Amino acid sequence: MLRFVLFRLLHAIPLLIAVILVILLMLQFIPGDPVQAMVGDFPVSPEFRAAITQQYHLDDPFPVRVYSYFVNLLHGDFGYSYQFQRPVWDLIAESAPRTILLTLVGFLIAVPFGVLVGTVSGTTRSSRVDHFWTSTALVAYAIPTFWLGQLLVLVLAVHLGWFPTQGMGPLVSRAHGLSWFLERAHYIALPALAFAVHEGTRFARIMRASVADTLGQGYIVTARAKGLSRGAIIRGHVLRNSSLPLVTVAGYAFGAALGGAVLLETVFTWPGLGLLLVQAVRMRDNMTVVGIVIFAAIAVVVINLLVDLLYAALDPRIRGRG
Amino acid sequence: MSGGAANAGAALLEVRDLKVHLRVGGAIVRAVDGVDLTVMPGESIGIVGESGSGKSTLARGILKLMANVELAELQGDVRFQGKDLTRIADAELRALRRHGGFSMIFQDPLGYLNPTKRVGTQVAEALGGKWFAATRRRVEQLLEEAGLPASAQLARRFPHELSGGQRQRVMIAIALASEPALLFADEPTTALDATVQLQVLKTLGRLHRDRNMAMVVITHDLGVVAELCDRVYVMRSGKVVESGDTVELFENPRHPYAAQLIELSTRHRRPGPSAPGAAPSVPASPAEAR
Amino acid sequence: MEPPSTAPGPVRSAWRGFRAALGHMAGTRHGAVGCAILLVLAIVAIFAPLIAPYDPLQQAQASLTPPSMRDLFGTDNTGRDIFSLVIYGTRTSLAIGLGAAFGALVLSGLVGMLAGYFRGPVEAILMRLAELFQTLPVIVVVLFTVALFGSSFWLLLAAIILAIWPVEARLVYGQYLRLRSMDFVAAAKVADMSTIHIMLREILPNAIRPVIVQVALDASVAILIEAGLGFLGLSDPNTVSWGQLLYVAQDYMTIAWWTSFFPGAAICLAVVGLNLFADGLNEILDPRTRGRAGGLQS
Repeated sequence: MLRFVLFRLLHAIPLLIAVILVILLMLQFIPGDPVQAMVGDFPVSPEFRAAITQQYHLDDPFPVRVYSYFVNLLHGDFGYSYQFQRPVWDLIAESAPRTILLTLVGFLIAVPFGVLVGTVSGTTRSSRVDHFWTSTALVAYAIPTFWLGQLLVLVLAVHLGWFPTQGMGPLVSRAHGLSWFLERAHYIALPALAFAVHEGTRFARIMRASVADTLGQGYIVTARAKGLSRGAIIRGHVLRNSSLPLVTVAGYAFGAALGGAVLLETVFTWPGLGLLLVQAVRMRDNMTVVGIVIFAAIAVVVINLLVDLLYAALDPRIRGRG
Repeated sequence: MSGGAANAGAALLEVRDLKVHLRVGGAIVRAVDGVDLTVMPGESIGIVGESGSGKSTLARGILKLMANVELAELQGDVRFQGKDLTRIADAELRALRRHGGFSMIFQDPLGYLNPTKRVGTQVAEALGGKWFAATRRRVEQLLEEAGLPASAQLARRFPHELSGGQRQRVMIAIALASEPALLFADEPTTALDATVQLQVLKTLGRLHRDRNMAMVVITHDLGVVAELCDRVYVMRSGKVVESGDTVELFENPRHPYAAQLIELSTRHRRPGPSAPGAAPSVPASPAEAR
Repeated sequence: MEPPSTAPGPVRSAWRGFRAALGHMAGTRHGAVGCAILLVLAIVAIFAPLIAPYDPLQQAQASLTPPSMRDLFGTDNTGRDIFSLVIYGTRTSLAIGLGAAFGALVLSGLVGMLAGYFRGPVEAILMRLAELFQTLPVIVVVLFTVALFGSSFWLLLAAIILAIWPVEARLVYGQYLRLRSMDFVAAAKVADMSTIHIMLREILPNAIRPVIVQVALDASVAILIEAGLGFLGLSDPNTVSWGQLLYVAQDYMTIAWWTSFFPGAAICLAVVGLNLFADGLNEILDPRTRGRAGGLQS
């Protein structure tokens, strides 16, 4: 197990460095004035230009600039956003927890849904039930999250008035305790639901395939030979073994959601990392864009690493090794 | 051992004109095509044939343990302890598997054991319990009876942590848990090393005698039949081409195919595992190397 | 009974295999519906000027009129006919979908083939590269590229290809690993055929079928990404696209649902069509999914 951890670390660290290198390399190819490219649509005075050129080593060769960027990163310095007039790290630290919250709530719905539907449609004796869920999953998966979000807002928020249309909470809130919690839950419900429809149906598809695979295994025959009932086989053998691949898929999806919830957050104006990224792109605030992208890369690599370790801990075949 | 197949009234298992047809791609494969078979209580039967002769499908057809095949047709008369298995209710079939009916062990114990569960748990499951203190002693007894060392350590291992021979012994322990009247062994030693093969065969022979448990051994290896079986059925292309007493059939095969099988196996192999010097005749011992 | 072996023999022509696959697909429920949807979309895209009643940029109607016989899908805030816009948008979406899928196929095919055939350092470097590009979510890669370099059609296409090629490269690579060790490849080597010949004529036709499934899925991802970018208001402003219509609709949908509904439904239709197509293809490639091969009969 220790050897596995070391092996994965040795794999993850160079990967992360390479990703950051590629990102910085791409910055080299931005057409136009590099100073303007860094600060965005923002008037630049000559003194200011000189200060930035010196601060970010813009006159130095590429390796020096990369080196200084890495040194800054290690100090937790992701640069400064001239559009927001704040350090990029502050912006990220403020937005990331909101994205994590939304993702977590979405997963709370999506994972049980995916496991349940995947298992039911994978084990059912009725091909009609299977067809129903397979087709539903297919269509639900094809709905773009942002359009689903629009429809949900239109029907449930605008016409029926059951939910707020956007944001994380009211501008001014006097709620405390439980009512504060309910108020927040009210705001997060729609975005989490839209997220869960997409991810949940994806999980269901993967779970169904995994269940079908498990059902073809010899130990299912052994379980039948033991005289176990259908339900006992599904609970005791199918569910557990089929869920293992889902751990990896769901885990990776969690990492991807940290940077990739761009569209979802935009529909619901959920002030997370994704919305911040879109705003920065629109304002051509490249310092912030690069900071978020690098943060997303770190998050993905770290979470994938944790997921692999978790999987290794869950699967005795890997746990026993090393 | 008694070899009286003639006394059909007291038969443990009686199969008449069993047909198992499978759908493979677009075509129908007559894997088992009208087989008659009788097993008396406490008797040991061998079914031999090349791979593809339908012997495994026959066993699975009888026990209703089909997997990964599309059944086109299953018909015939299968009476086990007086019950017709082709028309039995699911609950009754499960009851037979749970206690006093039949069990089966398979060629590939690694694939037929759940990789994510401890072997002790998997044996306990066959006892109809979970990993309770009550079943724990019984689990260890069964593992020991199947020829594994009496240690709680082993029961806590996962299948991939055991050797091939140990895994097959776990399968045997699982099969014994339901105290079956009839044990089907499908190529029980084919996947094992030569020395381990003999030990596992000896264990099976011992269990057959000690428990007075009837056995059907499916194999392509006539040496296995010589070691374990009172009577033999020779199968080819889904049909039984010859059957009879093991010794008689070996000495005087009537069907040319049977003669050919015997000829082939004696040429490739030692005359039988009981021949002198064939393998070190170590008794099935707990000390089996990992 | 051992299951029948499904090892492929050397199929001489990839095209013939593909045509046979198409023929079988009409027999599967998903495949048939998928093919039909894609066919309709293709016809709509090709004959857009004949089908659309108005020029998509023409602002002749009253703004935000609900769907009627005159304007099937209603009009948007500037009085453009949404039906015509959706018809023309099909062109953009299909062009991006097909272009990105084809581009990714060429790129990943090349990478996967080289890595799978040569192994050693070539394999290590190429597969690390694939992993590198797979690290970030597709939308982030595309957004980043667009942020730095702008969003013309070709740039967007390149960005999407850059983001989606690794999955497919790994698939091709896996196929090549599997096939390389097969008998007919060894036979070709013994017969002293050139490396290029073996890669293209012996292995490629056999590796291509699972890859086609992935190509269809890639096309659907590309369409979704393009739509997403349009929705963020970051796609090429000079082309009509479904996503862009949704971007505009954001401000008006509370009073005019049709501005959002029809473009979104069009996206769904295209994605469902491609996924059904892929499903049907999968079904004929993987016989296990055909019929319910039993695991749980009692």
